[in-house]
Amino acid sequence: MTTFGPHERTLAELFAEAAFKALDDAGATNDRIDAFYLGNTLGGMTENETHLAPKLATHVGITGVPAQRFEDACATSSNAFKHAVQAVENGIHDVVLVGGVERCTPETGLDTPRMTEIFASASDKQYEQPAGITFPGVFALLTNRHMHEYGTTEEQLASVAVKNHANGQHNPHAHFGKETTVEEVLESPLIADPFRLMDCCPFSDGASAVVVTSSDAADSFDSPVDVKGIGHATGTVPAADKESLTATQPARDAAASAYEQSGRSAADVDFAEVHDCFTGAEILATEALGFFDDGEGGPAAEAGRTALDGEIPVNPSGGLKAKGHPIGATGTAQIVELTTQLRGEAGDRQITDAETGLAHNLGGDAGTTLVTLMEARA
Amino acid sequence: MSDDELVDGDLTYASWKRALRDGDLLGQKCRDCRHATAAPKAACAHCGSRELETVELPTTGAIYSETTITVPPRQFSDDDPYQVAIVELDEARVMAHIDGAVEIGDTVRLQGSIEADDAPAPLFG
Repeated sequence: MTTFGPHERTLAELFAEAAFKALDDAGATNDRIDAFYLGNTLGGMTENETHLAPKLATHVGITGVPAQRFEDACATSSNAFKHAVQAVENGIHDVVLVGGVERCTPETGLDTPRMTEIFASASDKQYEQPAGITFPGVFALLTNRHMHEYGTTEEQLASVAVKNHANGQHNPHAHFGKETTVEEVLESPLIADPFRLMDCCPFSDGASAVVVTSSDAADSFDSPVDVKGIGHATGTVPAADKESLTATQPARDAAASAYEQSGRSAADVDFAEVHDCFTGAEILATEALGFFDDGEGGPAAEAGRTALDGEIPVNPSGGLKAKGHPIGATGTAQIVELTTQLRGEAGDRQITDAETGLAHNLGGDAGTTLVTLMEARA
Repeated sequence: MSDDELVDGDLTYASWKRALRDGDLLGQKCRDCRHATAAPKAACAHCGSRELETVELPTTGAIYSETTITVPPRQFSDDDPYQVAIVELDEARVMAHIDGAVEIGDTVRLQGSIEADDAPAPLFG
């Protein structure tokens, strides 16, 4: 993957860096690639760029193979990854290059009001956008309800930001490389209450990529790790139609599917990368994935149970909060972190004895969620 | 609401929008499972039935969740911070712009609508 943060380079140039790193890391040459699956969410709106899969494939010297783009808001490249895994599992392809790329910073020439409007395109055009909702606002609605039902506090939310910034300082690819404090988070300007600036992930540019192979072909590449299960679920949209605002039901359904496919349970997971677009989203996710009972996510974060040395480390990479969130690149960047951890190559943020990792990537108002369970290869 | 607002009995966005501008908040109730929604659809999101009845939703409800937007999208960029809420109206919930200041549990009434880029949103307060 590239570093996440502001980049002057084009989508194609960013993607090429991530793709070449992934290919070289796996010891894969272009002639081994049977297909290319791309995640890019906003390119049509932000950069007037569509038909990106064949464009980017050509840019990295891959032509003549099926190349396709996926879009499911922030879950975009996890969905591309799921399709690649299913394709190699079912013998349709042997080796698939999967990646994601996005530019969201002012390097696009778009200011905050316009980018906020573009992000809000994932909310309902007729029945949500005219009310003035934003994406921080959507997750603020979920989180305020959680605070109302369970007593989750602003300090507990802030503790998620503090933890993820602490982790991110050990990640050379992270957008933000310095620590913060609960006080700093609580003193930062409001964006959509209860979220302050430091509760929110940044607008980032960046790209990520991975090479997906059939189990049989895997040993002909360098240092493979195993995908044991991928659950993908969707739920009711718009937000007002959800039975519960706090359950993030698609995460529960996707996790149940991933646990069933892998024969594992929440208790078997050694660490997780979860979709902390906002601090409240991480708390909801840790409950939905079964790490903590409903209502216990906030106290657990505050008590350090999700820290690097906690019982279930969450977002060792720094998460979206500190690592950054170039929308279409986020899903496969989580897969990069799982791979790095499972290989034992994560340096100062390495989880001790990391054998089973989980990635949770959501899109929209959590209406789409993918949960991927991966393990070190035996 | 008159029946000629509906196309073959179905509630279109154009009809929903016209009714809202006239001060009526329309929704749908499923004839099979009785699930209700304030965001009209082609089929019931709960059971898949296409047998949907157009209903006038209550104009009084309770705040289910709310947030104050301090960093708005382009269409609202000249506005002071404002509240957006999910309002519970008996069986259906609706996303609304808020007039004034509310908290979860507060009783609110439909005040009319606001417009952004020629699209109305329910205004409660």
